[in-house]
Amino acid sequence: MASHAPKSRIIKVFRYDPAAGGPGHFDRFELKTDDESLTTILDVLIRLQKTQDPSLAFRYACRVSMCGSCGMVINGREALACKTILADLKGDEVTIRPLNHFPVVKDLVVDMEPFFRKYEEGLTYFHAARELSEPALIRPDSRERQVIESSTECIACGCCVSSCTMANWHKDYLGPAALNRVFTLLADSRDGLHEERLARSLGSCYHCRTELNCTEVCPKEISATRAIKYIQMLAAKEAMKPGSTIRSDQRDTLRQGVPKLIPPQSTAPAALTPEPEDLLPAVPSPALASRREFLSRTTLGIAAITIAFLGSVLAATALAPTLRKRPETWVDVGKAEDFPAGSVKTAQISYPVKDGFYESTVNKPVFVSHQANPDQFTVFNSRCTHLGCMLRWDDGKNLFICDCHGGQFKPDGVVKAGPPPRNMDRYLTMVKDGHLFVQEA
Amino acid sequence: MEEEKKVEFRNPLRRNELDPNRWRSTQAGMWAWLWQRISALAIIVLLAIHVTLPYRPLIQFLLLLNVVFHVTLGLRVILLDFGLVNVKYQKALIGGLAALGVVIFVLVWNGIY
Repeated sequence: MASHAPKSRIIKVFRYDPAAGGPGHFDRFELKTDDESLTTILDVLIRLQKTQDPSLAFRYACRVSMCGSCGMVINGREALACKTILADLKGDEVTIRPLNHFPVVKDLVVDMEPFFRKYEEGLTYFHAARELSEPALIRPDSRERQVIESSTECIACGCCVSSCTMANWHKDYLGPAALNRVFTLLADSRDGLHEERLARSLGSCYHCRTELNCTEVCPKEISATRAIKYIQMLAAKEAMKPGSTIRSDQRDTLRQGVPKLIPPQSTAPAALTPEPEDLLPAVPSPALASRREFLSRTTLGIAAITIAFLGSVLAATALAPTLRKRPETWVDVGKAEDFPAGSVKTAQISYPVKDGFYESTVNKPVFVSHQANPDQFTVFNSRCTHLGCMLRWDDGKNLFICDCHGGQFKPDGVVKAGPPPRNMDRYLTMVKDGHLFVQEA
Repeated sequence: MEEEKKVEFRNPLRRNELDPNRWRSTQAGMWAWLWQRISALAIIVLLAIHVTLPYRPLIQFLLLLNVVFHVTLGLRVILLDFGLVNVKYQKALIGGLAALGVVIFVLVWNGIY
């Protein structure tokens, strides 16, 4: 519980004198209050103005958080002065400064013109879809009304825009307050400017980075973030519709300046539902690529680069082994004199193999025949050409025999019997310095 | 009345300008947003170190922890973006998803090492 005893506080108030100019400064005041739990910041400011500095400028009207005039930054956080109780503020000092993102007129008074310009850009007025003699009602318990929730309670104090960092960085961002208002109308089935309004907010609704500052500071406890998410979902659904004609015209509106809007009230009752085009400023055909076009082009571009990159890597890995020239490897089988004419002998060959980082030694038997061709050595691969079983030389039968399926080859490697589909495989041979070599591919 | 004196407005104040209380008043949602950006940068740096110096448990641990942090914050934004979770639970989502992520991370880490 806050103490009810009299307490003294240092109040630091931002001062800016339009006559003097400059960046402005903070003035320190000391103020004693009888009961902080019954004192609002607005009370503090009024008392300072009456008792200490009559030139202190600030704005207020209703004093009961209905009008939205006294929005300011109190101890680093946006709030209504009339709703902020002094006892709720920790520390001995209270810092009061004007709202961010608005030109400062004097002291705590800001120019709200940018705020309401954004408001107008979003077409934030109701325009009936159908001409009705009686007001069309939306039942309070209907789903439509429940979705809109408390978003209609906005009092346009500007706290949310001041707290939003993106409102500072994106000049074409409508901002939380205007988008919240746009949301209440987009969700309203009686509204006749749905598409125009959606087109106005398309370009800027994605500037929201979900920081939720606006939701935190709103004195009416409205979540502008929720409203912006709703618009983003609408925009996404619209983008997925095949024949959608809604395009962002935010950029063009900005280039043209503030659209000259004719409020619906000023039209004659007979023309209650004019064509929406009559109300809207003419939007020239976009010279610059719209945000959506830019995004789809960028996405396609990135996709193309990715496919090209991955494709080239895959193609290179697939083609490189076939293009690479492998060095010829001649493997020593043994001395040529060890294989006399008219004999078939089994010899073991051994050679190193390098596959990537993996090095190993291959040991395998080969058949050396000096019989089939007396002038030349013939060296056969020892594997059966049927299913790759190891062959053996049978001296008695004078045949190469496969024990797996009964394949038989003659001494010159020609199939004699059994399932083998072709003759035995041979190696390229070479005799050098009395040694027999075979080429290993 | 005809005397027209141009009033000099001060340029709009920026978020932190002349305000020592600003960061103290920064709310959870904005910290979540800011830390996701910072973790994204950290992931780039750690990933580069991880690729140049593979199989170092400390670097892998830091990288995975950063990824978990980044992913949980990103999932939170996705849940909020698609209206799968009401915006009013945004603060609970930060802690809840981070806790879930850390539990999964610890289980996976213990499974590997």
